[in-house]
Amino acid sequence: MSIQALLTEYGDKYLQALLTTWRLTAVSFAAAFLIGIVITVLRVCPVRPLRLFGDFYVQIFRNIPGAALLILLVYALPYLQIVFPYDVCVMIATILIPSAFCSEHLMSGMNTISPGQIEAARALGLTFFQMIRRIIIPQALRSTVLPMTNLLVATMLTTSLASQVPMRPHDLTGIVSYINTRAAGGVTAFVISAVLYCATALVIGRVGSLIDRKVRILR
Amino acid sequence: MSQTDIPVIELKNVNKHFGDLHVLQDISLRVKKGEVVVIIGPSGSGKSTLCRTINRLETIDSGEILIEGEPVPQEGKKLAELRSRIGMVFQSFNLFAHMSILDNVTLAPVDVLKKSRKEAQAEAMVLLERVGVADQAYKVPDQLSGGQQQRAAIARALAMHPKAMLFDEPTSALDPEMIGEVLNVMTELASEGMTMLIVTHEMNFARQVADRVIFMDGGKIVEENTPEEFFEHPASERAQNFLSTIRDH
Amino acid sequence: MTNGSIRDMLYETPGPKARKRIRCFTVLAILLLAGLLALVIRQFAVTGQFAEKYWSFFTRVTTWRFLGEGLLTTLKAALTGSAIAFALGFLLMRGKIRRNRVLNAVSTALIEFTRGVPTLLFIYFFFLVVPKTGWKPSAFWKITLPCAISACGVVAEALRSGVNAVPKGQTEAALSLGLTETRLFYKVIFPQAFRFVIPSLIAELVIVLKDTTFAYIVTCADLMQNAKVLISNYDAMLSVYLVVAVIYILINYILNKISDRLALKLRRTQAEVKKA
Repeated sequence: MSIQALLTEYGDKYLQALLTTWRLTAVSFAAAFLIGIVITVLRVCPVRPLRLFGDFYVQIFRNIPGAALLILLVYALPYLQIVFPYDVCVMIATILIPSAFCSEHLMSGMNTISPGQIEAARALGLTFFQMIRRIIIPQALRSTVLPMTNLLVATMLTTSLASQVPMRPHDLTGIVSYINTRAAGGVTAFVISAVLYCATALVIGRVGSLIDRKVRILR
Repeated sequence: MSQTDIPVIELKNVNKHFGDLHVLQDISLRVKKGEVVVIIGPSGSGKSTLCRTINRLETIDSGEILIEGEPVPQEGKKLAELRSRIGMVFQSFNLFAHMSILDNVTLAPVDVLKKSRKEAQAEAMVLLERVGVADQAYKVPDQLSGGQQQRAAIARALAMHPKAMLFDEPTSALDPEMIGEVLNVMTELASEGMTMLIVTHEMNFARQVADRVIFMDGGKIVEENTPEEFFEHPASERAQNFLSTIRDH
Repeated sequence: MTNGSIRDMLYETPGPKARKRIRCFTVLAILLLAGLLALVIRQFAVTGQFAEKYWSFFTRVTTWRFLGEGLLTTLKAALTGSAIAFALGFLLMRGKIRRNRVLNAVSTALIEFTRGVPTLLFIYFFFLVVPKTGWKPSAFWKITLPCAISACGVVAEALRSGVNAVPKGQTEAALSLGLTETRLFYKVIFPQAFRFVIPSLIAELVIVLKDTTFAYIVTCADLMQNAKVLISNYDAMLSVYLVVAVIYILINYILNKISDRLALKLRRTQAEVKKA
């Protein structure tokens, strides 16, 4: 099928799919970021069991394959009488997995701060929270702009998991198999989706670089 | 006892272990108001650790540390308040990398002493002028040389109007040609009557500026004397060995 | 002293009041976590998931052998995919750093393409479109190739940053010794660049391995597929999928740990070289 034909027939479906992917990505990333912050706070707090829990959480969700997690949520959990609708299952997977990576990035961001600055802040009489607010957070956030940009793109790629469950509307990956079972979409159907994914990734990357350049601390 | 008789800093029988290592052994010393006390000794003698216990960056196992007669608080707001009264200058400067020099100096006066930004900035510029880096005020630390950074760090500590200043090997991380500019600032501070406790390897500086020299080795205070006496007639064998190795360079 | 990482330095040695507070919270935390665990176990018990029929077949060797075969295929796919990704990534990297403008543009475009498209899309491509072109790869290749293609862009960028990390002095020294540019690259620069990027390559291996779990789409008999067979045999979905998930997590965990340790060693030796 030619591009013209494909677009006239499925153009609006593609648009819907694009918006679906964007929506999933944005919501998942926002939630993953918040959870990532909470987990990071747990991992650095002085209460050992909470630290261990945070580390454990990160190791589970950065190492589990997305497909395995999704299958557990969709097919295995009902046996424990916990049934989530399909889109919730996908969201759980697309939120939990990036949240683990988010915490890793935040930890690395914190580690770019030389420990001496903490001592200097203490020696000046800053309280713990003043130190966190004025010294740690500003520097950690600035160093994580690029990793977080990459994480946003990775989250978008993870949302392709939505194609594995009967979710409506389709995401950009699901739409391709939908089209290919109805028409001989061929390579064109793929290319359109691929280009849309790529374009989004490039824009995200560009914006991320710009922000990074603005806030980066001279090193 | 009048106000000037209470030592600004006093350590009584302070002991500290790092695991099995007895890094501070029964340390007792006093620093009076306006005194400049210099601690020298070989590496591993515990002199840096000693300096850092005074504002509780390091904890102690036993003994007492008193600032102006009051024991150092163990935690919380009181500890922060005490630390704001004691200035500290570090070997690796430790300026806040994401802030300009001016912001580095005004951060604590604004957040801790609750001064207005205007007031803090005006005072900060005066201090930066005094240490000779006023023209660098709007740059970030990475843009300054080591000597400039350390002088800015001294200004940052001075902005809190401390009762005493601790210096933990302030010139050890500097290239040789920049050591002088920092020592000059410290010498001036001393002549203005600041109470100072300095850990250093700079022997000439110690000779000229110190009121008292303390020699530490293996966690103990081995000798304590005036600079003239110590450098001309070191009493202990360890001090003699140490000084001869320094001289040979 | 000032040598610890931020994580250790964030909280200073607590005073007596703080110590009490921490102890209190520690107890609370343990109770909370134990409570959560108890809830999970209770749910398992209530729904009868602890029943023998769901777990007893795990004591049989045949079960593990079957899973092992699946795991072997998974590992084969992951390693083959990574190797192909490395080869492709190497070519792309060379294309990007050479001085030919056209080559640069094409390589960059390909790199960005493979990095911006999800692996699932590539897998569907190989599953739905490729057979229609007449080329009919086996199920193994239908999962391995898309995973390789998806990863080669990242590998290319990793290799490029490795090459950039080699000190410029090396190039100058080699050139002054009379080596040609190509010789210089293969004998001097690339070996060093490679050592720098080994940790990221191992991390990429983990990603490829995770991608191979979609092998069920192309009906390749990997660990997931074999798990499905077990499930239909013993009607034990939860237990089998849990065990399989744990296996994946363990393997990836070990690989990531190796990568982290290598990265740490590398940073240490680099710091020493810098000092000298």
